[in-house]
Amino acid sequence: MLTAKDIMTPDVATISGSATVAEAVNIMKEKGLRALIVDRRNESDPYGMVTETDIVYKVAAHGKDPKKMRVYEIMTKPCIVVRPDLGVEYVARLFANARIRRAPVIESELLGIISVSDLLKRGNFTEAPKQLYLEDRIEAARDDARTVCEAKGATSPECAAAWDIVEELQATASHQRSK
Amino acid sequence: MMRAEEIMVRDVVTIGGSATVAEAVALMKDKGLRSLIVDRRSDIDPYGIVTETDIVYKVAAYGKDPKKVRIFEIMTKPCIVVNPDLGVEYVARLFANTKTRRAPVIKDKLVGIISISDILRKSDFVEKPKSIIEAYADEFSSYIGARMYDD
Repeated sequence: MLTAKDIMTPDVATISGSATVAEAVNIMKEKGLRALIVDRRNESDPYGMVTETDIVYKVAAHGKDPKKMRVYEIMTKPCIVVRPDLGVEYVARLFANARIRRAPVIESELLGIISVSDLLKRGNFTEAPKQLYLEDRIEAARDDARTVCEAKGATSPECAAAWDIVEELQATASHQRSK
Repeated sequence: MMRAEEIMVRDVVTIGGSATVAEAVALMKDKGLRSLIVDRRSDIDPYGIVTETDIVYKVAAYGKDPKKVRIFEIMTKPCIVVNPDLGVEYVARLFANTKTRRAPVIKDKLVGIISISDILRKSDFVEKPKSIIEAYADEFSSYIGARMYDD
C-alpha cells in the first residue's frame, strides 16, 4: 500500500508565528510554496500552518497591510497532521471529511507536507483504485447472508445471491491485496 | 488598482462534461494544472469547473474507479466567474466570501483563469494594501466616503 511518506513533499519551509505576513509571502514566492509550517515554540507545542488561502481570505480580501499583520493572527494551530505510514486512500478520506487540502507529515519531527496535488499527481488511485473498509463490508455481508439463509432456507435463491455478494467482495479484496 | 486580467493565467484547458475522471487526471498531470474548465454545451449553457479537490474528495477518498466516474458527476456547474475588469481586491473579497479558490475569467467567452496563487504571487497587495472602501473611493471620487482618503 502506498503511504503518505511515499508521495509527500519532503522540502518544507517553516516560519515563526511572530513573523509578518509580508515575510511569509516573500518566502512562499521565493520557494514556490503554497503553505508554510509554523514552528513550535517548544517540544510540547503543536504544529501550525499558514496557507495561501489564509493570506488571501484574511489579509488581501480586507485590504489589510501584510507588513503589519503577523502569522499568528491568521494561522491554523493546532493543525491536522498525518503520520508517514498512513495509506494514501486514508489520507484522501481524511482530507475529504475534514475539508482540508494539505497537512504536515509528522512522526516525532516534521518530515514533509502532503497535499491534494501530491495525492493526484503521485498517488496510484487511477491505476489501482482501492476501496476502504473492505474487511468490514465482508463481515457485514457474511452476517446478512447467514440471516437470509436462516429465514429463506439454505437452498433458496435468496441465500445463494447473498453468498455471491460475499464472494464478490472477497475477490475484490484479494485483487486489491495483490497490487 | 490591478485588475483580474493583469494577473490571470491565459492558458486554460477545457474538458467535456462526459469525459472520464481518468482523462481529466491525465490532462492535469500532463499540463501541470490544478483545474480544468468544463466546456459549455451551447452559448447559453453556463461554464463549469473541475478541480484537484473535487477529484480527491469525491473519487480518490471513496476508492471509486476514475475510469468509470464522469466529470459531470463531480464538477461544479454553474461556477462563479470573474469579469476581466474586476479589481484584484474585489476578486480576493469574492473568493473569501464564497470560499472559492479559483474561477474562470469570462467576457463573452473564456479568456483565462484566476486563483488565490495568482493573487498572492502577482498582485501588489503587499506593496499597496488597499481596502475595498479605498478601491471604491478611487473609482468613484464623488462617493462621500472618498473624502476620508483625500490628501
